[in-house]
Amino acid sequence: MKSAFRSAICTKLTFSFRSLNPTPHRSSLVLPPYYAAVYPGRPSTLTSMAGGESGSNTPPSPTVHTLEKQFEVFQHKLSDSGTLRERIRGVALEIESATRLMQSSLLLIHQSRPIPEVLEKANGQIVVLRELFAKLAEIISESPGQYYRYHGDWRSETQSVVSLLAFMHWLETESLLLHAEAEEKLGLKSSEFGLDIEDYLTGICFMSNDLPRYVVNQVTAGDYDCPRKVLKFLTDLHAAFRMLNLRNDFLRKKFDGMKYDLRRVEEVHYDVKIRGLATSGNSTAEQVDGETS
Amino acid sequence: MFNSSAIQKLSVMAAKPQRFRHLAETTPLGAAAKKHRSLTTSAADSDPNPMKHAFSKYATYLNDLNDKRERVVKASRDITMNSKKVIFQVHRISKHNKDEVLEKAEKDLAAVMDQYISRLVKELQGTDFWKLRRAYSPGVQEYVEAATLCNFCKTGALLNLDEINASLQTLSDPSVEPLQINVLDYLLGLADLTGELMRLAIGRISDGELEYAQKICTFVREIYRELLLIAPKMEDSSDMKSKMDTMLQSVMKIENACFSVRVRGSEYIPFLGSEDTSFSWLGASNAE
Repeated sequence: MKSAFRSAICTKLTFSFRSLNPTPHRSSLVLPPYYAAVYPGRPSTLTSMAGGESGSNTPPSPTVHTLEKQFEVFQHKLSDSGTLRERIRGVALEIESATRLMQSSLLLIHQSRPIPEVLEKANGQIVVLRELFAKLAEIISESPGQYYRYHGDWRSETQSVVSLLAFMHWLETESLLLHAEAEEKLGLKSSEFGLDIEDYLTGICFMSNDLPRYVVNQVTAGDYDCPRKVLKFLTDLHAAFRMLNLRNDFLRKKFDGMKYDLRRVEEVHYDVKIRGLATSGNSTAEQVDGETS
Repeated sequence: MFNSSAIQKLSVMAAKPQRFRHLAETTPLGAAAKKHRSLTTSAADSDPNPMKHAFSKYATYLNDLNDKRERVVKASRDITMNSKKVIFQVHRISKHNKDEVLEKAEKDLAAVMDQYISRLVKELQGTDFWKLRRAYSPGVQEYVEAATLCNFCKTGALLNLDEINASLQTLSDPSVEPLQINVLDYLLGLADLTGELMRLAIGRISDGELEYAQKICTFVREIYRELLLIAPKMEDSSDMKSKMDTMLQSVMKIENACFSVRVRGSEYIPFLGSEDTSFSWLGASNAE
């Protein structure tokens, strides 16, 4: 079998060899590596292709050495940032579970539990959240200036937190939780570890998604004034949002969804109004502005 | 009975969208919203409604951020274009014009630094390096590619990240943070470098410079080996993963080209010059 192999190669090489080179016996030919391996005795100018260096067995050059050093440094740096990221993810998951607890308490609002009672339970989680965000701030402070490097790891959790806080704030005060107020509630400072404005705005959009459901359930439970109040609030909010020049990103999509929430609340309000169920007499749909209380 | 009330409801609901629009247009807030669509004016500030006041501030913030991002993207695009020109220039290398080609490439590279990277530095104004990274990362990667390519052709060594960053420090005002290329962009640019080196190697082979090509081969193999360990540790590593696949293809292309030269060595004799004339080829005599 060996000789068949050999002659097969030889024929192939001969062919190319013959067709191109007029002096077959005087040229130098370099054997392919497998050939040299099969016939180890053959002298060859072949250098090992499978190995690293071409030519002699010199030790790695100084340039290779500095190359390795640089990559060693990179490895350390990236390992460190990887570990940091894991710690951040750990805290972010804790934030998420605290948020869920808050949300499950808040959901009782759809079952017509009295607002203060619901809020009390939910407010208990705010302390937990403050601690967790403080932990996050501490971890990030180990790599100053890199808030936005790791920001993606807590972005969606933060948006959920803001949406719940804003909903709770509305239940309490019927007004919008502002960015500065939200920051303060969570114990954040914009100079160090702040609340990103786009996260805040996205959180507000998420809050608006919950309002239609709330209004529907309130009316079912007999609160006929709720739609008017929510409508006024949501109209103001939508108008305020329209002041922003949003580019085509996630926030923009969420904002686009707000008009459907607004429409749904308006439908509920209309249903209640047209049947004369709304208790407060002088508010018609056309008078929804800042002056009516 | 059910049908008529349903129809009533439907007709009423059909009218609603108009009412909604009417609502938005006639309420003072709706009108104000239309007027204040872009930048805020003092009228918004005097509005007692705190929501509007707050949102006008958010609007300013977002406008400034987006404008800055736009300018950074433009600067990055210019860096990309001009770095590519440097790379094309380097590819013009041949056996006889090495020095002139490299000299021009270096000059062009310095121009990229002085004109385009300095503009990027100016737009960033020492902040938001990580926030806007996606906006300028492609430009930076291309620059790293060009700079490392030039450096390799000149010295045969890999230009370090520290060296690049040292040269960048002079670009910014001492009062602001200098732009420093981060590890991730450097590594991504390095991955692209291997593709260009592959092209260079193939070009050198067809010019007959086998040794140069083998130097490139060694170099690229070294980079691939190092990056293999680092790639999984890079954040959003999907970018790097596909680059690693391409890199392996490039390495193999160079290796296969070198292999072809060896195997068909006779075809290249006029260019390489004959070396080992004492070697008698086993097969030839037998086959005959």
